[in-house]
Amino acid sequence: MENQIASPMDSRAADAFPRFPPPKSSSFSNPITDGDSQHPWGLNYSLSSSDRRLAFSRQPSFRQSDPRTPNALQRSDSLRPYLSRSDSSISILPPESDGFGFGSGKVVIGEDVDAGKKKLGVLGLLLAVVRAVRSGNRPMKRLTLLISLNVAYSSAELMIGLLTGRVGLVSDAFHLTFGCGLLTFSLFAMAAARKKPDGIYTYGYKRLEVLAAFTNAIFLLFMSFSLAVEALHAFIQDESEHKHYLIVSAVTNLLVNLIGVWFFRSYARVNIVYRNAEDMNNHSICLHVLADSIRSAGLILASWFLTLGVENAEVLCLGLVSVTVFIVVLPLFQATGSILLQMAPGNIHPSAFSKCLRQITALEDVSEVSQARFWEIVPGHAIGSLSIQQIKKGADDYRILQYVHGLYHDLGIQNLTVKIDFV
Amino acid sequence: MEGQTSQSSQIIEVTVDMPAGVSSLGGRRICGGAACDFSDSKSTLRDSKERSASMRKLIIAVILCIIFMSIEVIGGIKANSLAILTDAAHLLSDVAAFAISLFSLWASGWEATPRQSYGFFRIEILGALVSIQLIWLLTGILVFEAISRMINPSGDVQGFLMFAVSTFGLVVNIIMAVLLGHDHGHGGHGHGHGHAGHSHGHDKHSHGHEKSGDYHSHHHDDHDHDHDHVGEHGHSVSFSTHHHHSREDKKDVHEPLLKHSDSEKGSSDGKKANQRNINVHSAYLHVLGDCFQSIGVMIGGAIIWAYPKWTIIDLICTLVFSVIVLTTTIKMLRNILEVLMESTPREIDATRLENGLCEMDDVVAIHELHIWAITVGKVLLACHVTITPEADAEHVLDKVIGYIRREYNISHVTIQIERE
Repeated sequence: MENQIASPMDSRAADAFPRFPPPKSSSFSNPITDGDSQHPWGLNYSLSSSDRRLAFSRQPSFRQSDPRTPNALQRSDSLRPYLSRSDSSISILPPESDGFGFGSGKVVIGEDVDAGKKKLGVLGLLLAVVRAVRSGNRPMKRLTLLISLNVAYSSAELMIGLLTGRVGLVSDAFHLTFGCGLLTFSLFAMAAARKKPDGIYTYGYKRLEVLAAFTNAIFLLFMSFSLAVEALHAFIQDESEHKHYLIVSAVTNLLVNLIGVWFFRSYARVNIVYRNAEDMNNHSICLHVLADSIRSAGLILASWFLTLGVENAEVLCLGLVSVTVFIVVLPLFQATGSILLQMAPGNIHPSAFSKCLRQITALEDVSEVSQARFWEIVPGHAIGSLSIQQIKKGADDYRILQYVHGLYHDLGIQNLTVKIDFV
Repeated sequence: MEGQTSQSSQIIEVTVDMPAGVSSLGGRRICGGAACDFSDSKSTLRDSKERSASMRKLIIAVILCIIFMSIEVIGGIKANSLAILTDAAHLLSDVAAFAISLFSLWASGWEATPRQSYGFFRIEILGALVSIQLIWLLTGILVFEAISRMINPSGDVQGFLMFAVSTFGLVVNIIMAVLLGHDHGHGGHGHGHGHAGHSHGHDKHSHGHEKSGDYHSHHHDDHDHDHDHVGEHGHSVSFSTHHHHSREDKKDVHEPLLKHSDSEKGSSDGKKANQRNINVHSAYLHVLGDCFQSIGVMIGGAIIWAYPKWTIIDLICTLVFSVIVLTTTIKMLRNILEVLMESTPREIDATRLENGLCEMDDVVAIHELHIWAITVGKVLLACHVTITPEADAEHVLDKVIGYIRREYNISHVTIQIERE
């Protein structure tokens, strides 16, 4: 496995080291391997490229893009062999770069969006949005399509509901509007995540995608809870309102959502291994539309059962839908929650960590390692900090630093800050 | 100077028990253990005190809520009025919000584990986020119900009943707002000395009056004040971070503080409000939102009572006040978002910090500077400092860490020293 990684590394050794370090933006904005290459982390815990838990996108598997190409030409889920040593953080900063050491340029698109937002009025904003979407990748375009479909549908439903005075339609329209708002937030997160890190958001904007996924998950949890309440309500009231006029709207809703599921079909699994931030966002969108379609299907089923004369059909179906949505959403909720809670990277086994600690302590100059903390900014991008107590001063700290950085780099932790104290 | 760096500590590395003559910053520079707690014993004590104070407030609020809710349910069933039952359901949602806040508060005190190496402080933020989303959801439901009521005029809208129920609800909500808020009425003044909150790290007073500059320790709010008193006394820390029982103490403490009070004077109200525990604050926002809704319903009820034909006023009031409620949550949402995005906290000027570090001797450059907060008051910093080849790494490390602690009161600092 090491050989596989060595060769891509050598091939880009040339362009990675002329200026040392490379723009730091590269370490932030690039996601990691996609499923086709083996995980270069030392231990392959039940993950192979044929593992269906990995979501495959239609991108070519191994795009070798030059770190200097402007981000407009780089697809956001293109590939960089992340093991290039240029990511390691021992570096000598050329004096003319800016103090933070980041790539100081923002994404061209990002600037466009910013410039667009400075224009006055909704029109400017709209133009900026259109521009951002047009330059976006495929999931973004699909999402925009989905959102516009949803908006059109829900406003039509709202109009019809208001005009004809049917409350059920209005409530459905509201539900859809909430969903649209969430999808818009996901879209916004997708667009904003391409921005480069700047002075305030030193880790970049990729966390927004995780946040969007978390918000989606919470909304779905709320939805399942409210469906349960509705089921309870129907159970207590014991008179099922035969909302037959809702069937048409339910069927249309189902169709629209199934289109959405088709767009995001590679994420239509409950348990997905998240390899980068977009995975989470896309998965949450897929689950959102999936849950909506389950709900519509449940309503249709309930209506049908009512016509068949099954008692308590509404209660059953709504309860079933509620439980299903809850079960489906829970893994996403846990995964996003653990990222936001700064939990240790899930894909690295704790024994790997303790092995690294042992190896560091085994160095002759090191007496103690403490405060080893690791967390993920987005899935696949792990950051850590570590404190080492060195026995004698004037020992070769560069060597120790390099060793430690190398150790953790092999685990997949790119950004590491090592503090060396002297006893 | 080392003695004075200590007073800003919520950190373990500089212990104040040492006599002032000891020069080294590094009595104990390193916490023990591979996954040591984020905070040391002193700040843990303060945190847990503040946590228990907040929990107490919330528990009282929950109990009150439940009492009022049962009153309303009984009254509503007796009077057979849907409006009262709806209000009772609203109170139930309040209880849910309080429950979320309570859970977050309780969970944030859990010990750190190797998997969760920073402790569970983030749970506060996530709980507050869920709570705010609940507010948005409920507001949406309310708006929907208003619209549906407009579509299906459900017969007679008794203006008087609306008015009475909403007044009762308003009174309840005001009581709870006072309980949870305390400094609510003084949210307006820019606390120039709000820095005290910062310089003491996580000074979680819920009394904004404290910060108005005169630091009176007696303040006629009941609950948690006294609890904050107790226990701080016996501390080895000679600078009590909460209450300064004598003016002389205060003078000593605040001379060095004044120098960077000005740097942090530009703090906004939203941030002052966040000196209060964020979960208590989000519960407070819930209650505040309910107050506004009740006011809206009151106005609507009064107008309908007077002019029974204008039922549309119900919808208008609901919409207007829903918008008001949503705007109150925006500030807090922004703060939460900033923490979750690992951005540089507002109160810390990263450029200034970086410039200040660069100006030190032997420091050639700073790069990969990351400042982020684990929760609203706890800030961490990590950066790489490049020094001249002949410099003394330990010395530079001490200086840098001392500077950051003194000036910005950032406790958890990880500096990687590299030689050119």
